[in-house]
Amino acid sequence: MSNGVFSHTTKNLFMKIFINQVFKSVNKWALATLSMLLFAGSFNANAQGEGLFKAKCATCHQPHKNGTGPKLFQVRKKWADGGAKEGSIYQWVNNWQAAAASDPYAQTVSTWAASAMQAFPELKKEEIDAIFDYVDSTPDPAAGGAAGGAADGSGGAMGESNMSEETEEGSFSWVWILLGVIFAVIIGAVSGVRRQLKAALNEANDADEQSYMQEFKAWAWKNKIYVGITSLVLVFSLIVSLVLSLGDIGVVEDYQPSQPIEFPHDIHAGVNGIDCKYCHNSVTKSKSASLPTVNVCMNCHKQVNGRTPEQQEKIKAIYEAAGWSTEGAGSYTGHTKPIKWNKVHVLPDHVYFNHSQHVVVGGVDCKQCHGDMTKQKETARVVPVGELNKIEGNIPLTRPTLTMGWCIECHGEKAIQEGPLDGKKDGYYDEIHRRLLNNDKSLYNKYLDDGKVTVKELGGWECAKCHY
Amino acid sequence: MNKIFKIITNLSAVAVTGIIMVSCSADKDSAGLEYMPDMYRSPAIEPYVDYGEVRGKINETLKNTASALTPPKHTVPYYGTNEEDVLLMLPYNRKPSAAFASTHGLFGYDYTTNTEADYEYNQAANDKNPLILNVKNSEAIFKKGKELFAANCMHCHGEKGDGNGPMVTSGAYAGVPNYADKAALGDGQLFYSIYYGKGAMGAHASMLNKKEIWTLVHYIRKFQNASYGTFSPDGTSAVAAVSDSVKVDKPAKK
Repeated sequence: MSNGVFSHTTKNLFMKIFINQVFKSVNKWALATLSMLLFAGSFNANAQGEGLFKAKCATCHQPHKNGTGPKLFQVRKKWADGGAKEGSIYQWVNNWQAAAASDPYAQTVSTWAASAMQAFPELKKEEIDAIFDYVDSTPDPAAGGAAGGAADGSGGAMGESNMSEETEEGSFSWVWILLGVIFAVIIGAVSGVRRQLKAALNEANDADEQSYMQEFKAWAWKNKIYVGITSLVLVFSLIVSLVLSLGDIGVVEDYQPSQPIEFPHDIHAGVNGIDCKYCHNSVTKSKSASLPTVNVCMNCHKQVNGRTPEQQEKIKAIYEAAGWSTEGAGSYTGHTKPIKWNKVHVLPDHVYFNHSQHVVVGGVDCKQCHGDMTKQKETARVVPVGELNKIEGNIPLTRPTLTMGWCIECHGEKAIQEGPLDGKKDGYYDEIHRRLLNNDKSLYNKYLDDGKVTVKELGGWECAKCHY
Repeated sequence: MNKIFKIITNLSAVAVTGIIMVSCSADKDSAGLEYMPDMYRSPAIEPYVDYGEVRGKINETLKNTASALTPPKHTVPYYGTNEEDVLLMLPYNRKPSAAFASTHGLFGYDYTTNTEADYEYNQAANDKNPLILNVKNSEAIFKKGKELFAANCMHCHGEKGDGNGPMVTSGAYAGVPNYADKAALGDGQLFYSIYYGKGAMGAHASMLNKKEIWTLVHYIRKFQNASYGTFSPDGTSAVAAVSDSVKVDKPAKK
């Protein structure tokens, strides 16, 4: 609390949270007392209502947000204002079809969504009231969740600042080029002046005028040892840098193409704990790990529509792609539009790579090649090998990510099974292990010198394993 | 002669500078130079490959178009020659109601003609899990179920199946039921809900095959009854035969 800016902002934050908390608790307390006064006979009405709401209603209804069913906050008032018959809301809960048949307002409610509500004939009027009282007493998260929203907002701002940094870097090199050009012009101008002066001097001394070239040649001849060594070094360094830059062709480390939606992996895989294999679900069955189709996004985003305006904007792009209309209960219109993602991990056609082979049979964790996506704030990128090596549990490698050297280095390190193979059953490799044990025991023992049988020793370095 | 030489030197200097300048203006969406571009994209169609350029030929109409497509309607994937597996993998006999199009985006399905709400779902209550547990396979099925659950269900339904997954505890999602409250549902209804979706939950037919869903149904039952699918040590009797899908003896062949 002692240093300037920091303490000021934290103080502000604390104040905000404090005020929020006070407001919330006062709100809760007031509502609780109100409901207690109303139902003096049943002190535990709220608890009963909460239990019933969670057990019977919460799957489809939320207090403050439309979901599968409409929001229930002050629903009794809504029905009364809408001109519903007295008591028809209780009938609705017990058997909505009967209510819809007898009450015109209930009839209009039944057309709210295409899906039908479950009937709850076992709920008594008091119980239904307890549920509604509980719902009316819940604070609106949209009003109380300002702190959470602010935190998310700062995340978004951080992403933006990253972006501007990048563009700055781009313009930065242009500044250098411009500066170089200006310096060259100045040097040229100065030497021009110098030359003019010299020419004037020569004229006065009656000497021959020399061209630039002749002047340079004379100077170079005078200092031929230095000039020779310098030019030799220059030529060699040029050749070396050329050869080195050839080695960069096809190395795509740190490649992060732009994407139509700035997808934050850290929120999905990190905060919300969604397994990689949920969205990239063909990874266990197919060669490709698959980009999630929009229906997979919509499995959650049908309900999750963002807390901050930036998030809402991004999620709107999903709705547009899925053809989801947010009106009323929300519905699919059938007018879909593809999201055009840019491919990040590009392998040439002349190499065969199969995700399911590595993930299912080899038991390789996603992070061995793709890094820790639970901390990746932006869309995917080709994570450099140095960063991959820092992740716990990864086999450390030296060659750049996504190069052949990197692949076969891992094939030379990764153990198919730890220890001897006797008596172990591995399913996929049964046959190859059987042959190894039965045909060539000495070879097998040689493999086991380092205590493991690697992918390489079972043919993982054969050209035709990946190139055919 | 000297002049021609000079011109050539100047021109090559310009060319080298030009090349350097061009290579400097990097396209963020390009992965960079390729050694043998003619071997990078084969004309044979594969998913997630841009066929806008194949072997140097540019095809504007194919640039950035979808290459991962859904299989044709009514086709059956190949699941090997094991009869039980193939029977299990045959297309699902229950149809979604037409409302699923607007609520769950299930367009292009054969819808049930019965107008009664949730007709097929209610009918599915009588469907039995065709993946029959016995003393030999139960361990493997529950292990597989655990894997599938962790990848596909846990983030909402929670590790213990109580509806408190990380999605719910982080405040992003609400209204996930506790499996323990849903013990009255039939195996077929669980399957139907996973396959076509139910309420807020989306359809998972595109992500899980039938065998995987039935495996998950077994695994979910375990949350509702801890002794579900466990067998006595000698393997002759089930500790709790809560469902017809747990068989003490070898499964009866159809």
